[in-house]
Amino acid sequence: MTTRRQFLKLTGGAAAATAGVRLGAAPAFAQTGGPVKIGILTIRAGIAAPVGAAGLRGTEWWAERVNKAGGILGRPVQLVVEEESTPKDTVERYRKLILQDKVEVVIGGISTGVTLALAPVAEDLGTPWLSWDGTTQKGVEETMPNPKWAFKSVDNEVEAIVGGILTAKYFKGVKTIAGINNDYSYGHDCWQSYQAVLKKYGMDVKPVIELFPKLGVTDFTSHIATIQQAKPDLLMTSFWSGDATILMKQATAVGLFKTMKGVFTTAGGVHDSLKKEFTPEGLLLGYNTMYFDDPSGSALLKQFVREYKAKYNEYPPYECDHAYFNAESYRAAVEKAARGGRQWPSKADVVKALEGIEVESLSGKRSWREDHVQMCNFYQGITTHKNAYDFVTISPLEVVSTKQAMKPAGAKLFNWINSWKI
Amino acid sequence: MTARLVLGAALLAGLGVPLVAPAYHVLLMLPFMAYAVVLLGLNLLFGYTGLVSFGHALFIGIGAYTGAFLTAHTPVRALEVMLILAAVVGALVAAPVGALCVRYVKIYFGMLTLAFGMVFYTFVLKFYRFTGGDEGMPVQRPSLLGVAFEALPKTDYLTGPYYYYSLAVLVVATVVMWRIVRSPFGLCLRTIRDNPVKAEALGVGVKRYRWLAFLISAVYASVGGALLGPPIGNVDPTLAYWTHSGDLVFMTLLGGFTNFFGPLLGAFVFIFLQDSIKSVFPYWRLIFGAILAFIVIFAPGGLMGLVTRARPERPAPA
Amino acid sequence: MAPHTPQRSERPGEAVPLLDVPTAHYTGGPDTAPHTSHARLMSHLVNILMGGIFHASILFLVAAGLQVVFGVQRIFNLACGSFYALGAYVGISAVQAFTSAGGPPALFILPLAIAGLAVGAVGVVIERGLLAFVYDRDETFQLLLTFALVLMMEDAIRMTWGTAPQSTSALYLVYGQVRFLGATIPVYNLIVIGASLAIALGIGWLLTRTAFGRIMRATADNREMAEALGVDMRRVYAKVFTLGTALGTLGGALVIPATAAMSEMGVELIVEAFAVVVIGGLGSMRGAFVGALVVGILRAVAIFIYPELEMLLIYLIVIGVLVLRPRGLFGGAAV
Repeated sequence: MTTRRQFLKLTGGAAAATAGVRLGAAPAFAQTGGPVKIGILTIRAGIAAPVGAAGLRGTEWWAERVNKAGGILGRPVQLVVEEESTPKDTVERYRKLILQDKVEVVIGGISTGVTLALAPVAEDLGTPWLSWDGTTQKGVEETMPNPKWAFKSVDNEVEAIVGGILTAKYFKGVKTIAGINNDYSYGHDCWQSYQAVLKKYGMDVKPVIELFPKLGVTDFTSHIATIQQAKPDLLMTSFWSGDATILMKQATAVGLFKTMKGVFTTAGGVHDSLKKEFTPEGLLLGYNTMYFDDPSGSALLKQFVREYKAKYNEYPPYECDHAYFNAESYRAAVEKAARGGRQWPSKADVVKALEGIEVESLSGKRSWREDHVQMCNFYQGITTHKNAYDFVTISPLEVVSTKQAMKPAGAKLFNWINSWKI
Repeated sequence: MTARLVLGAALLAGLGVPLVAPAYHVLLMLPFMAYAVVLLGLNLLFGYTGLVSFGHALFIGIGAYTGAFLTAHTPVRALEVMLILAAVVGALVAAPVGALCVRYVKIYFGMLTLAFGMVFYTFVLKFYRFTGGDEGMPVQRPSLLGVAFEALPKTDYLTGPYYYYSLAVLVVATVVMWRIVRSPFGLCLRTIRDNPVKAEALGVGVKRYRWLAFLISAVYASVGGALLGPPIGNVDPTLAYWTHSGDLVFMTLLGGFTNFFGPLLGAFVFIFLQDSIKSVFPYWRLIFGAILAFIVIFAPGGLMGLVTRARPERPAPA
Repeated sequence: MAPHTPQRSERPGEAVPLLDVPTAHYTGGPDTAPHTSHARLMSHLVNILMGGIFHASILFLVAAGLQVVFGVQRIFNLACGSFYALGAYVGISAVQAFTSAGGPPALFILPLAIAGLAVGAVGVVIERGLLAFVYDRDETFQLLLTFALVLMMEDAIRMTWGTAPQSTSALYLVYGQVRFLGATIPVYNLIVIGASLAIALGIGWLLTRTAFGRIMRATADNREMAEALGVDMRRVYAKVFTLGTALGTLGGALVIPATAAMSEMGVELIVEAFAVVVIGGLGSMRGAFVGALVVGILRAVAIFIYPELEMLLIYLIVIGVLVLRPRGLFGGAAV
């Protein structure tokens, strides 16, 4: 058990030696304790495993940079990685990170089923927890409006709201719509929110068919046949994993998007599998909170995309930036709470510093709202083949802030949508 | 004699764990004790009646959801009520399910139980307004023997009073099961397992006995499920998924289904082994699959089989 | 609570002219939707049936592998879904190697099918290396051994191919589409359906017209008798299990152009394949065929009429069959 952390990715020791030389300003690692342990929860198996992998890669890239630059307050970063799986097992891993490994902070958590279970545990154990992609929403309603230790991702339904706003902009003439979403709360919530937004924009649309295949289904030929029969003007889906690719392929094979518009609110999560041969131009495609090909993206984003591509031969999806922002905001909060000193701040002080903090993340500026919800931008646009890749990208690119598309603290989603002044 | 010493030592160790072990290991004992109760029941079917259920996660789900439902929709917080109601609901579901399942044995029994488990899983996922769907249902902290322990942080609550409560439930469940398998009823079950035709000829209502065994095992699994819920704090459909049922059979086999205490040992080893492997090797399923294959091939008696084989053979009870 | 102005986009909701969205690139012909209601009904029917039959033909291959093994060896192979996943991944690798070596896209189906069949050879390794040790045990142990395989193979696949979904890109569309009674059908779907049918006929031929088939049936009927008559069980079991494995891997390889491979696809599929064999009757090849059609088409119809029912309907039918006719529609073996 003494060598338990064999697969910790970064010991930081070697990095420290080089960092001390390269950065004159960075002092040697402070004497106060060794490396700062950061607990990471990531999904390794199942349908969301690629999401977990992207988050972990984003975190590792961050850790490498931070360690090269001298760590946090002079302490190198050490990642302690555990697996997110079922709520029961993940709660156990979470407790292990805090009680056994004594990490300073836990970062990660993707599935809402899991994060709903984790949040109360985080509150109880009194260690900050920053969630990559999970919320404490039940459906579209917040269950934990004023957490002390838990920091949550953007609300689940934001991408569908952005999709709705942009549908109203780009696909005005639409009269009938169909929805195919996974049969779990995310799928149902996205479909409801999307329709509410269209209605608010005065689009007189009628849902002619709504399908909710089970998560993990890999054959949609029957669903597509049913959609063809219903003849909607537009098909909306919040598929986010390999099923988005499969749906696209099987739909194009029967010419589905020749007769209808398509809105893929979340398929940007698997963007480089959407090959040009079977992904038509003219669809609305959402990349969630980071667009790797943003023409006005920062130098940081460009460097990240370049190195990610070199290392994994893929282009990074949005989860990388959820993870990067979480870790980077933690670093910034520790330094802010230390007020220029070298004394490591208490966990409660770090949490206080996190509230409202804004940092430069891969996709641009991101911040924590005062009620511990992540604020960032959403990237959606119309698919195009005019690029150097073998998959589609989007142009024009639309950037919508969570300030616009996410319900404010304490608001009820549908009341809030109805209150928009358009 | 040795067995009694070992048992006494185990009980003492169980009482002492919260005093000496780190909090995290005490917390890991909670799912162990919950699974131990489940497996005592599962093994009444597996080891004593010769029926392998591949759907017992169904009853874990029922127990866990019963407890969650009570805390979410009623003012009830007493764990006693949760456990009793879980047992009742488990029995109510098991009565018809069992009646259908015990008409068959071997692979058909396994498949039918698997199918019922998946129906429940799909039901929980589909009727999300009632069950919370994939997001599950939160379980509020139950009161124990009328004491709410509100002042305690959750970890202290779990490693203190909840731990001893679970231990007490496990001890009672063990004693009751011990009585059951030693009773004429238990003897009948073993006769049915070894020779159903003979049992029928002797006037034992084979299906009725199998049904009763199914009922008892479902009650155990439901009580175990209700115990499993509060430490997680949120129950969800994965508790009822078929691979969870597979894990239960795995634990039973790991410890040894031919021995009364085998499943308990199996649950203990499974949980603590999984805990340490998961941290060092992301592909822990590979290792667990290999362990299972090894046991099936080389040590069908499980760990208990390995331990007891070292001792001289005793004549089997008549 | 007016929405804030976003950074770079125009404010949504303002009068923006409907964008001139570029037209999509399609490989199919122009859409000529049928006009009469009769013709439209026909095309819907064809669409829904074809969707169901396509799904059924995939299910059949996996279920057939399950049935061969159960029929002869009395092993319910939970790992059949894992073989299916393995075939899918190996098929993708083979096709990628083929196309990057400059192979013509239209011939991709050759390396795909060959790889799918060839990887079935792991069957003999698993049979000789694992299952052969437990033939004299209770069938529960054999079931558990295949459960161990499920656990191991899921991680082995993940270690080899990673977690990102893999696909053969757009080769699915290489063969184009045909129009039939107003419905558009990808030719590749027809190829899969045809291949599945051909395999069904091939198995029928194998079972009824060859010496090996007679041995298989004899073993299924009465193992002791077959053994007494001098049949070498070891060879029969090795061959049968390999055949069963190859059916699963081939199924996985053939389906993959139409879909994408994900490491857990096997665990997902086993439940459906399970429904097929229960409905059809364990061990019966005809049962696998009919069961696959029933599940595939019922699912398609359920999606069409009342989508909420989709999977639940299948489970309820499974339970109904198990309760009323536990041997399934075509099962003959004693319980």
